[in-house]
Amino acid sequence: MEAPMLIPPYPVPSNLSQPFWDGTRRGKFLLQKCGACGAYRWTPQWLCTKCHSLDFAWVEASGDAKVYSFSVVHRPPLPGFKAPYVVATVELAEGPMMLTNIVDCDPKDVKIDMKVKVTFDKVSDEISLYKFRPA
Amino acid sequence: MSQQREVAIVGVHATKQQRNSGRSALALIQEATNAALDDAGLKMKDVDGYIAFTFEGGNGSGVNEGNIAHQFGQPIAFTAQISGAYAVQMAAGAIKQGYADVVVIPAAGSTTLGGGKAASYTRPEYEFTEWTGSMTPAQFAIIARRHMHEYGTTIEQMAEVASRIQHNGNINPEAVLFGRAADTPEKVLNAPMIAEPFTRAMCSLVNDGASCIVVTSAERAKDCRHDPIWVLGGAMENRATSYFEAPTLDMMNSRDKMLRGFQRAGIRHEDTDIVMCYDHFAHGPIVQMETLGFCKPGEGGHYVPEVMGLDSKHPICPDGGNLSYSHNMIPYNFKQIEIVRQFRNDVPDLCPEGHKGIHTYDRRICRKVRDPKLAVGAGPMTEGRHGFVLLAKD
Repeated sequence: MEAPMLIPPYPVPSNLSQPFWDGTRRGKFLLQKCGACGAYRWTPQWLCTKCHSLDFAWVEASGDAKVYSFSVVHRPPLPGFKAPYVVATVELAEGPMMLTNIVDCDPKDVKIDMKVKVTFDKVSDEISLYKFRPA
Repeated sequence: MSQQREVAIVGVHATKQQRNSGRSALALIQEATNAALDDAGLKMKDVDGYIAFTFEGGNGSGVNEGNIAHQFGQPIAFTAQISGAYAVQMAAGAIKQGYADVVVIPAAGSTTLGGGKAASYTRPEYEFTEWTGSMTPAQFAIIARRHMHEYGTTIEQMAEVASRIQHNGNINPEAVLFGRAADTPEKVLNAPMIAEPFTRAMCSLVNDGASCIVVTSAERAKDCRHDPIWVLGGAMENRATSYFEAPTLDMMNSRDKMLRGFQRAGIRHEDTDIVMCYDHFAHGPIVQMETLGFCKPGEGGHYVPEVMGLDSKHPICPDGGNLSYSHNMIPYNFKQIEIVRQFRNDVPDLCPEGHKGIHTYDRRICRKVRDPKLAVGAGPMTEGRHGFVLLAKD
């Protein structure tokens, strides 16, 4: 019998997102920036979500954000998550909203509008997850 | 604008909704389709339109528009992949345009065998979602908490909404949680915490079951078994794909589009009776009543508990909703089906002669809404997709 998977499911990059994951592996937080209007976007897209230009570059972002909203999860959906943990939507300084985890603090201390900073969690040779901690 | 009575729902069916049915989604969906056609007094040979979410299952093929035609042994003219209020509106458009005469809208889910295994669509293997551990309650808990932050909505208000819906499920013998639902705010708040602020009783069920709606023209409806339930209009607007983009309150920006749906149909909110909100989580009816335009953004926490009772202005989810009747992973058709059954006075509850259509209106045992004539069926109405349909009886 196959052993149950006890690690969370790790991301599998696409050809669009590979530069992002290459960045996190090197400790860099990259976002797509539109070559025409300069807007940042998340999640990765081939098209600018503001002006629809196909022209973009991956550029290093500040890693600064604030908590838009969050939930403390007590019953994880899958094996491999250690409850309680914090899932949040954060508003990046560059504008886009991002789903992530808030780490390095007591879940009780997380607040909406709290300033947070990106941090990287290396889970394999290929993948470093991007999470946020209190700034 | 005048109300158009050109297209009608003429048949509905829901199979037994239950946990661990041991049956495949494919078997369930075929049962529901045949039974809904029988309810309409129509035959499979009458069907030339098919709207359903596709899924894998069965003998390697599952349900999609190509092989459903093959399974039915006849060509299908009009197909689309959606469910619930969206599907009813698409069926109405196709029928008015002449692409199809009789459209079936089946849906099914089974945790046991294929077709939505463990709510697979809420668990996309998506590189920016799955590792966060947000599936599924946390996704919506984030939205609920933001609504609380921006508008002062309280956890007690959400518990009140959930408990009123669960009360209806508690007295619905067809509900998965019949007799076991958390039918008081205290029971809702004291249930195990899943993802703050949601306790288990504020989260929808996960169970097996199928449903089907049959839609046809006014002309064809004349020959059907039941009186037609008219499709007067509605609205649809997409904003994102739930579970792929970070959850926010962006869906509230669909309010103008929803209001225009009422205007186009010539319907005033105050003239509607039942409102079938999509109660996937306890904040759902609050945010949706605001977005549908029943109250202003931010007023839902106060407004919804006041109007949602079975004897109040706009009874919400008299079937027990997704919280206690059924969430079979594709639960959107139930919203329209409950409206049809209330209109027809086909409302199983604990009234001694309820099965004969004789109701007591004693709310401890009776969930029949008094003389409903006009209703709102919402859903899909989640964070990415907003849609509702207006249904009326003569």
